[in-house]
Amino acid sequence: MLEIIRIHNELLGTYGDRGNADVLKFRAGLRGIKAKVTDISYIDALPKEGDIYLLGGAEDAAQMLSLTALKKGMTLNKAADKGAVLLAICAGFQIVGSSYVTRDEQVAGLGLLDVSTNPGDKRLVGDIAIESEFFDVPLTGFENHSGVTTLGTDVMPFGTVLSGNGNGINGVDGAISGNVFGTYLHGPILARNPEFADLLLERAMGIQIPHVTDEIADHYAKWRRTVIK
Amino acid sequence: MASPRLTIAIFLAKSASMASRIMGNKGETISGRILLALEPEAISLLARKKQVILISGTNGKTSTTRAIAAIVRQLGAVTTSGSGSNLSWGAAHALMSKAAYAVLEIDELHLPTVIAQTDPAVVLLLNLTRDQLHRMHEVKRVSDRWHVECTEASNTVFVADIDDPFINYAVANATNVVRVSFGGRPHPDGAVCPRCGSYLKWKSGNYSCTCGLTNKISDRKFKKGSAAMRNAILANVVGEVLDAKPMKFKESELERTISKAFGDKTAHFRLTKNPASWTEALQADIKKDVILVLNARQVDGIDTSWLWDLSFAPLKGKRIIVCGERGLDIAYRLHVEGIESTVVDTFDQAIVLTKNKEVSVLSAYTAFFELVM
Repeated sequence: MLEIIRIHNELLGTYGDRGNADVLKFRAGLRGIKAKVTDISYIDALPKEGDIYLLGGAEDAAQMLSLTALKKGMTLNKAADKGAVLLAICAGFQIVGSSYVTRDEQVAGLGLLDVSTNPGDKRLVGDIAIESEFFDVPLTGFENHSGVTTLGTDVMPFGTVLSGNGNGINGVDGAISGNVFGTYLHGPILARNPEFADLLLERAMGIQIPHVTDEIADHYAKWRRTVIK
Repeated sequence: MASPRLTIAIFLAKSASMASRIMGNKGETISGRILLALEPEAISLLARKKQVILISGTNGKTSTTRAIAAIVRQLGAVTTSGSGSNLSWGAAHALMSKAAYAVLEIDELHLPTVIAQTDPAVVLLLNLTRDQLHRMHEVKRVSDRWHVECTEASNTVFVADIDDPFINYAVANATNVVRVSFGGRPHPDGAVCPRCGSYLKWKSGNYSCTCGLTNKISDRKFKKGSAAMRNAILANVVGEVLDAKPMKFKESELERTISKAFGDKTAHFRLTKNPASWTEALQADIKKDVILVLNARQVDGIDTSWLWDLSFAPLKGKRIIVCGERGLDIAYRLHVEGIESTVVDTFDQAIVLTKNKEVSVLSAYTAFFELVM
C-alpha cells in the first residue's frame, strides 16, 4: 500500500493543491497499485512511514502555523532523510527551504532544500510553463506568489522557465535535491502534468512502473500546453 | 446645487449612456467611466444628497442588492446597480439618478474606496471566501482592507454575518455594528484566525479564538438556513436599520437561478463561480441531466485550480455534459473523482445531448450572463 500524506490541507490548500494527492492515487490505481491518501491536519501527528508527502500553497499566517507544527519532532525531515518523496508547492516550497522572510522577520525553514526566499517587489500571477530535464514535454501550471527564491549550491533548479516567472530570479523554477521537489506551479501541477505524477510514483516505489494511457489526462495535459502563451 | 463641472459631466455621461444603449449595450460602464474621468469626485458629490446602502461579499451580492432595493422602495425612490455592475463606474452611473436612496452592490476590492467616498448609512457584509485569486490574491488581504475602512467609517452602521470569521474581523473595531449569526457554519478558508493568526478552534460550525474573535456573541441570532434564506434575513436586518417594514422573499428569489426554454427543453441555470457557490449549488436539487459550463476569463478567475477543492460526488449517476472554454479542466477533475462526462465546445451542442425535458445548468459567471441575460 502506497501511503500518500496530504499535510495541513486546511492551511496549505488556498490554491487548489489538494488535487495532487487525488491524482497520485488515481494514477497508481490505473496500474493496479493500491494507494491511500491520509489527510494530516495541524493538530495531528505526522506519520513517519509515508511514501509521498505533499505540501501546498498558503497565505502568510497559515504558512507560519504549518512550519511551526512541522518543526515539532522534525518527522518530515526524518522521512525525507530516509528517501521519502516530498512535493512542496509555493508556500510549501518556501517552508522546506533554508529560510524565508515574512512581513516582520526572517524565519528558518525546514532546511530540506538549500533555497532562501525573500519578498519580491511585485506579485507574480499567471500561467507558467517550464522545461525540466526529467520530461520530454514542458510542464504547465499557474503561479500566484510574491516570493523570490534563490538557490544555494546543494540544489538544482526543477526547471527552466519558458513563460511566466517561477522563482522570480535567474529564469528558473523550483528546486530539487534527491526525492525532494519544490516548485511554484499550481494547477494542480500533477493534474496538469501526468508525467510528473508518474515520476513521483516511480520514485516512491523505487521501480519502473508500467506506462498507462489515460486518454482524457493526456488530452488535457496536451491541450493546456497549447494554450500557454 | 451641483457644480457646473459635475452638471456637464452628468450631461455628457448620460448622452454617452444613451448612445451606448442605442448600440445595444447596457450603457452603465461607459457613462460611469466618462463621469469619473470628467469629475473624479463625482461619487462623493452625488452621494451627499442620498442615503447610500452598500452590499459586498464574495457570493450573493446581486440577489441581496435586489432584495434590499425592494425593501427600501417602501421608503422612497431607489437607484440601484445594474446586474453585476459593481465597480466604481457602476456606482457612479447609479448615483446620477435623483432618487433619495442608492442601494449599490460593490466589488470586494472596491468597497473600501466606495465607503470612503459615499459615507454610507448602512453597509451589509455578506461573506468572504476564495474567489478570483489572480486578482484578490488572498482572502485575508481583502479582509485586512475592509477592517481598516470599517474602523474609519464611524457614521456607518455595518450589518455583518459574523459566522464568517473574515467578516467578524472586518467589523471588529467598527463603531456601529449589528452582528448577525445563523448558529454557525463551516468556512472553507477559515482555519486561521484573521485577527491574530492563531489556529482557529471550530466546533459544529462555530469558532472561537484565544484573541476573543468568536461568532458566539451576536446582536441578532437566527436559525440555520441556505445562503438564499440567510441573505433574505440579512436584507431585512438592513431594512430594520432604515426603519423599513420587513418583506418576505421566496428562496428562489435570492438565488442566482434563472429558467429558460431551449426548444422543448427547460434549462435551470444557476451561477457557480467559486468553491463556496459550487458547494451551495451541489447541495441543491439537481436534475438527471446536468450541463456544466466553465470559462476562465478575468471575472471567472483565470486559474481553475479551485475545482479540486470541492467534491462533485452529488453528480454521480447523472448524465453530465461539460462545455465552455475550460470544459476540459472540469471534465478531468470529474474523471479523477470517478465521474465521467461528455465534453463539447458550446452550450448549443450540450443541450442537444440532454435526454430529459428539465436540465440543470451550473454555469460560470461570464457564461451565465451570455446565456441568460
